[in-house]
Amino acid sequence: MAAYETIAFDAARCTGCGDCMSACAQEKTGGFDHAASRIQILPAANDGFELALCRQCGDPGCVSVCPAAALEKDAASGVVRWDETKCIDCLLCTVGCVYAGIAYDERTGRVAKCDLCGGDPACVKACGEGALRHVKSAQIYNRYGELEDLFVPGLAGCQGCNTELLIRHVLRAVGPETVVAAPPGCIPGMGTVGYNGKTGTKVPVFHPLLTNTASMLAGVRRTYKRKGRDVTALALAGDGGTADVGFQSLSGAAERGEEILYVCVDNEGYMNTGMQRSGCTPYGAWTSTTPVGERSHGKTQEAKNLPLLMVMHRCAYVATASTAFMEDLYDKLARAIEASKRGFAYLHIYSPCTSGWRFPSQANIEVARKAVETGFVVLWDYTPDAGLRFTRPIDDLRAVDEYLEAVGKYRHLDAAQVAHIQAQLEKDLGLLKELAVRGAQAEARALA
Amino acid sequence: MSALPQAKTLPGHVVCDGNEAAAWGVVLSRPDMVAVYPITPQTSLVEALAQFAADGTLDTEMVEAEGEHSVLSVLQGACLAGARTYTATSGPGLAFMFEPYLRAPGLRLPMVMSLVTRDTLSPQCVWGGHQDAMSVRDVGWIQVYCESVQEILDTVIMAFRIAEHRDVMLPINVCHDGNYLSFGVCRVDLPDAAGVDAFLGKADTNWHVALDPDRPMGVDPLTGGGGPGAALFARYRKGHCRGMQNALQVIVDTHRDFGDRFGRRHAPLLEEYRLDDAEYAIVTIGSMTGAAKDAVDEARCAGQRAGLIKVKTYRPFPLQAMVQALARVKAVGVVDRSVSFGWNAGPVFQDVLGTLAMLPQRIPAVSFIGGLAGADLTPGHFARALETTAQALAGAVPIAPVWLNENDR
Repeated sequence: MAAYETIAFDAARCTGCGDCMSACAQEKTGGFDHAASRIQILPAANDGFELALCRQCGDPGCVSVCPAAALEKDAASGVVRWDETKCIDCLLCTVGCVYAGIAYDERTGRVAKCDLCGGDPACVKACGEGALRHVKSAQIYNRYGELEDLFVPGLAGCQGCNTELLIRHVLRAVGPETVVAAPPGCIPGMGTVGYNGKTGTKVPVFHPLLTNTASMLAGVRRTYKRKGRDVTALALAGDGGTADVGFQSLSGAAERGEEILYVCVDNEGYMNTGMQRSGCTPYGAWTSTTPVGERSHGKTQEAKNLPLLMVMHRCAYVATASTAFMEDLYDKLARAIEASKRGFAYLHIYSPCTSGWRFPSQANIEVARKAVETGFVVLWDYTPDAGLRFTRPIDDLRAVDEYLEAVGKYRHLDAAQVAHIQAQLEKDLGLLKELAVRGAQAEARALA
Repeated sequence: MSALPQAKTLPGHVVCDGNEAAAWGVVLSRPDMVAVYPITPQTSLVEALAQFAADGTLDTEMVEAEGEHSVLSVLQGACLAGARTYTATSGPGLAFMFEPYLRAPGLRLPMVMSLVTRDTLSPQCVWGGHQDAMSVRDVGWIQVYCESVQEILDTVIMAFRIAEHRDVMLPINVCHDGNYLSFGVCRVDLPDAAGVDAFLGKADTNWHVALDPDRPMGVDPLTGGGGPGAALFARYRKGHCRGMQNALQVIVDTHRDFGDRFGRRHAPLLEEYRLDDAEYAIVTIGSMTGAAKDAVDEARCAGQRAGLIKVKTYRPFPLQAMVQALARVKAVGVVDRSVSFGWNAGPVFQDVLGTLAMLPQRIPAVSFIGGLAGADLTPGHFARALETTAQALAGAVPIAPVWLNENDR
């Protein structure tokens, strides 16, 4: 399968300094003539800047118009390669590309285009503003794509739900020496455990009670460990069974340091049974048990901060993650799997619910991204040694309105409620920052 | 880990209470995992197990869980992974583990649990009574009730073989009375460890349903609803009932083999005491039976043709054995250590009433309730029960239960 890498451009961060073009020219020609750079930063029509650069497209227009087969997509690297020996200099490719990603170079009389510098682009390194980013997440998808998919095709999730993506990739990473606990909720509701004798999973899978996921897994893991077998005990649980009725068994297992990989897929309520409130439902949210009426307007209490509670259990690993930031998620998944071999690992993944949160089914990842970009969801991880650290920037968060407006369950909020949410987010972030500072200090001490 | 050598040489006999006797039974049965949470009057049993594990006398995976709900849940996970498991609880602990408790028999998990019986709240009470055990008499666990401290030790061992028998595959409660048996001390003999190993064989708990990457399967998918589901569900339920009925013969066989190997014989289903020529009898269950037998002896000395039927196996109910026993007498009194609130009678009395329907002739029956909340049931109480039953034979049948300790001072 082809790798799809590209260089992403954040126009809001670009100052037009031209360092990227200098770096490219230096790399490719030894000089500093911006005209020789294969990346071009140009003044945009409405102020700011825009990018002219090869995107290394998956279905490249330049390749399809080339009459000499001088351009081709490299299956291994994903780079669109130009073969100067085949090129007949017809320039059709410059017309075929809508990104101005391949251009005529007057000095050589031939076309030139970005080749990603062999996987370490000079322009990205030169950008001091963070406006250019070498995106390699597709490589992760490829790597995961080669691992066995341990769920059957056609799990019956709601349209646009990200949980199928999550559980497939988690199980690919964990592998077949695994026992999966899927307590009642959306995940077994999709058919993972099965129905009337048929199952949707290729590894051992079971319904624990809603209340005893962590306990049952503890028994499984300990029994195999006693027998000398390394079997991963994996929970794929919802927030309701984790934060509410299953919390005692979770807390007990974490306190005892049971070797479990506990993945909580947080869709902020009991979505599988028709969107009832849970302890993880945020303030102000509509659910079927925190409805909007004359006297009340959604949930009146804050959500329980479950991942922080797990930090207080001194788990071997705790992290929050989002499907809008898959590289971050994969990194945490790898750490969590490793930690689950020596202690309790807890991964809290935010899972916007297209059905229960009232937003269009194509907007799941967008909603998830906005949650992070507004600080409604903060991505961090924790280990007892390194403490808490942020894994996404928290300095330039946007106003929470942007997130709330994207989600129908907040449609009824008045200005006071929105202000309340914004204020609470800032308080929560303040607490996280304090913990992160402590973590950084601890790390510094450890290094010293 | 049945293949491991026994870590320590065990004594031939010990002087201990019923809770410790149960713990010795566990030591000899060598479960792979023990999970516990302390609760009165079971606590000293848990402490004994913890000490045995700390000393290396008991080689097992000990889980000190945060509550009884997790105790049974941890063990269910372990059992599905192939472990032989043990736990013990009482009263409120049993109530708290009710959710996973309901599930164990349906999964056909051969778990062994001592139930150190205790009266249920409220009134707030920490003393013995059968109300906890009787409240779960019909959720699909096997229930056996011990009469003596020695019988506790022996029955804990036998319980593993009964539960793991492939015709049974059901969890079992070995009930022993809080206070009277849990804390009553006497000498008990320990069968030899190698003999128990041979008697029990290797743990055999998950051949039918497993959480094992070598045998991947979906455990307990949704069953029922439309299509073939309802019929499948009915077949599971019917199979569960069949396992319960199979248990009757397995319990008999297991007790016989235990007696053959170790020289101690316990009545497996019911014990008939001086019943051969009896005109009337009382039915007892648990530790009360000793005092009741004394009362029967006294009545015999006084020329009464009194007898006794002791229930050891209560679930599955030994219907045929009870039919045969009751066919010998013309009146019966049943002494319960608990209450069936819906019937204004004792639960064992209800079962006896059901049995009477199988007899060709109707005989009078009386419900006695006593021994609640740790109350002592003395030979005097049983003398009254026998006398009342004799009067019932003569035609004076009480229409309401007789509360034996109602006027104790």
